[in-house]
Amino acid sequence: MNKEYRFAATDGYIKMPDGTDHYIFGFTNITGIPENEIYSHRGKATLMAPLLEAYENDDVYLTLTNIGLPDRPDLDDSHTVHWHGFPNQIALYDGVPEASASVPVGRDFGYYYKPLNPGTYMYHCHFEPVEHIQMGMVAPLIVRPELEKALGNDGKKFAYNDLATEFNREYFLFMTELDSRVHSQVLGVQMFEWTEYSPDYWLLNGRSYPGTVDTTVGSYPSQPYTGLIQANAGEKVLLRCINLGFQQHSIELLGIPLKIVGIDAQQPKGLNGEDLSTFKNIIYIGAGMTLDVIFTAQETGTYPLFNRSHNKNINPGSSPGGMVSEVKVYPTGTLPPQERPNQ
Amino acid sequence: MTQTFDLWADSGYFMTPKGHNIYFWGFNDSADVSPQLPGPTLIFSETNEIIINLHNNLPENVSLLFPGQENVQYKKPDDTWESVQPQFSGIDLISLTNYAPPGATITYRFTATNPGTFLYESGTNPQKQVHMGLYGSIVVRPHDFNTVKTAYGQNTGTDFDREYLITVAEIDPVLHKSVEKGEPYNIKDYKPRYWVLNGRCAPDTMLKNGLSSLPSQPYSGMIMMEPGEKVLVRYIDAGIENHPLHLHANHTRLVGLDGRILRNGSTDLSYKRFTILMGSGQTYDMIFEWDGLGYTPGNPIPTLLPSIRNLGIGEPGWTMWSGSPYLGEKKDIPVGVVSYNEMGEYHFMLHSHEEPQITNWGEFPGGMMSMLMIHPPGTLSPDTGVIRR
Repeated sequence: MNKEYRFAATDGYIKMPDGTDHYIFGFTNITGIPENEIYSHRGKATLMAPLLEAYENDDVYLTLTNIGLPDRPDLDDSHTVHWHGFPNQIALYDGVPEASASVPVGRDFGYYYKPLNPGTYMYHCHFEPVEHIQMGMVAPLIVRPELEKALGNDGKKFAYNDLATEFNREYFLFMTELDSRVHSQVLGVQMFEWTEYSPDYWLLNGRSYPGTVDTTVGSYPSQPYTGLIQANAGEKVLLRCINLGFQQHSIELLGIPLKIVGIDAQQPKGLNGEDLSTFKNIIYIGAGMTLDVIFTAQETGTYPLFNRSHNKNINPGSSPGGMVSEVKVYPTGTLPPQERPNQ
Repeated sequence: MTQTFDLWADSGYFMTPKGHNIYFWGFNDSADVSPQLPGPTLIFSETNEIIINLHNNLPENVSLLFPGQENVQYKKPDDTWESVQPQFSGIDLISLTNYAPPGATITYRFTATNPGTFLYESGTNPQKQVHMGLYGSIVVRPHDFNTVKTAYGQNTGTDFDREYLITVAEIDPVLHKSVEKGEPYNIKDYKPRYWVLNGRCAPDTMLKNGLSSLPSQPYSGMIMMEPGEKVLVRYIDAGIENHPLHLHANHTRLVGLDGRILRNGSTDLSYKRFTILMGSGQTYDMIFEWDGLGYTPGNPIPTLLPSIRNLGIGEPGWTMWSGSPYLGEKKDIPVGVVSYNEMGEYHFMLHSHEEPQITNWGEFPGGMMSMLMIHPPGTLSPDTGVIRR
């Protein structure tokens, strides 16, 4: 099946629970937008950037359009899309400007992918990656297994081509950090000395607690995803954990064991199919890794989710903040079926 | 069989890509040349007796640790052997093992019982000496290596065509400057500004082995292969910090960890990753393969490649791209951009995903970054991708 996307690279602002705004670079989804309206999307970058999703064996056509940075009109940086972890990639579609091409302001470039392996990936800009990743050009990426189609569209969902990876609801835990000095200095046309990187905000899905559990519509216009995880008792929940920060993170979910069913978009299996999946209490994840974790929601109630590195559970000057969220379990039948991730 | 090695610990200078010389301590295998970073790669054969003479030309005690090797002994003045022991002065631990005082020599002995990838490093003031550069890499070949090239022996699923060693670490220039000037340094103030891969910062990692312009940093960080080959990549984290190394182009299959095959009897425990989170002091053996997606001028890519006028190419002034989507084809790149592409090969990045580490004191590109080169079939010499001393 053909799957067509068009993403624009531009800038924007995100906000933190303490009321501060932060300048970002990012992507925004302009799929299907008429050509003469594209520039009205300048300044509308979101964090996370738009989800890219496809089925195994789809033909994915992604056009990247660089519509410029209205609040840094002097900065004519190019951008790329790097599908992090795409197997057997060729240089042209890998999005590394030093090893192929980047997309200058005002131009388009077409990437093509035929994903063959389901799992959780990520994409990000690879142009001056230390700056463009920190500035927010980061997003989740899902490849869904053909098993879902093979079972006749009965609505069952799976992480991999394996009945043991069935789930009812899926949520991202997309980890980044934000060093507010970087964002203000980039906006102020100043250089940042990257070895001084020292974040003051830690984000799940682009938000810091209590923003992670704020479900008010429109309260975070540039940060469309909450970090809130909700399920009915008895349901299986898939957490797609992605670390696109520059630090290692240890996310703890209190009171619910976590089954690791995927690491770096691979089921934990040995060369001869040995099942190497394990249960964990903490999701320990390095920068540039993904983990797929399934748990079964049992007793109703609220379960705290937080970074066991407690220094990341703050906003400047106040705690709790940062990488804190909640899992809410409701009585059976409370929530309608989930139609899209993080709904 | 016995293999004997001589190592000299000495001081020297290594160079950053901007031409700054940084004082360091390191090893070399000749008394007449300055040390290198990392130290000389030592290649042992499984079951051999290994004898290493460490000659100390530094102003303080130096020793060698062999993590992963068992029953390490040292030679006493009466020529008898004794198991190495941590050394104390009163109740103060002054060395993790027996050492050579300045100007003296100590001899260590052990049997290389396990094939795999290992470190060797100083065990005396390691918080200073290892991070001044007193470390190196060990490769232990399986006993049947001359029959078939493998990481862990025949029928272990670790066959390979080429192999590369990638040893990473951090550099805090204040540590190096303090030692050079004889001033105190407290490791709690450790603040790396450079990150090295095989002793070099990018883009120097992408230059060849044994350059006269980098006399103290002989090892390239490039990985070169042809499609369909099996490449054994051996990672070592010799630094203080953990590092998530991300190799583009494909997953790698991790087959060995800390010099031990990932296998439990008949149960294979190897696994595929696109990022390896390396722990400090750990080693990782991986098999990497790449087959490509089958695109050729006769089976073209399904997108239209814009004119080069409408592409960003070589923003830093250089590019490694051929100008073509196809392996083995070279096309135009813009005038004024220096091309490092030889024959239409593909380049893929290998780098730390803690991205401040791919800068040189904050400036991208740099640091812990290199490239994987995929050459057109039949164009790479069999001598490429052979680990030597």
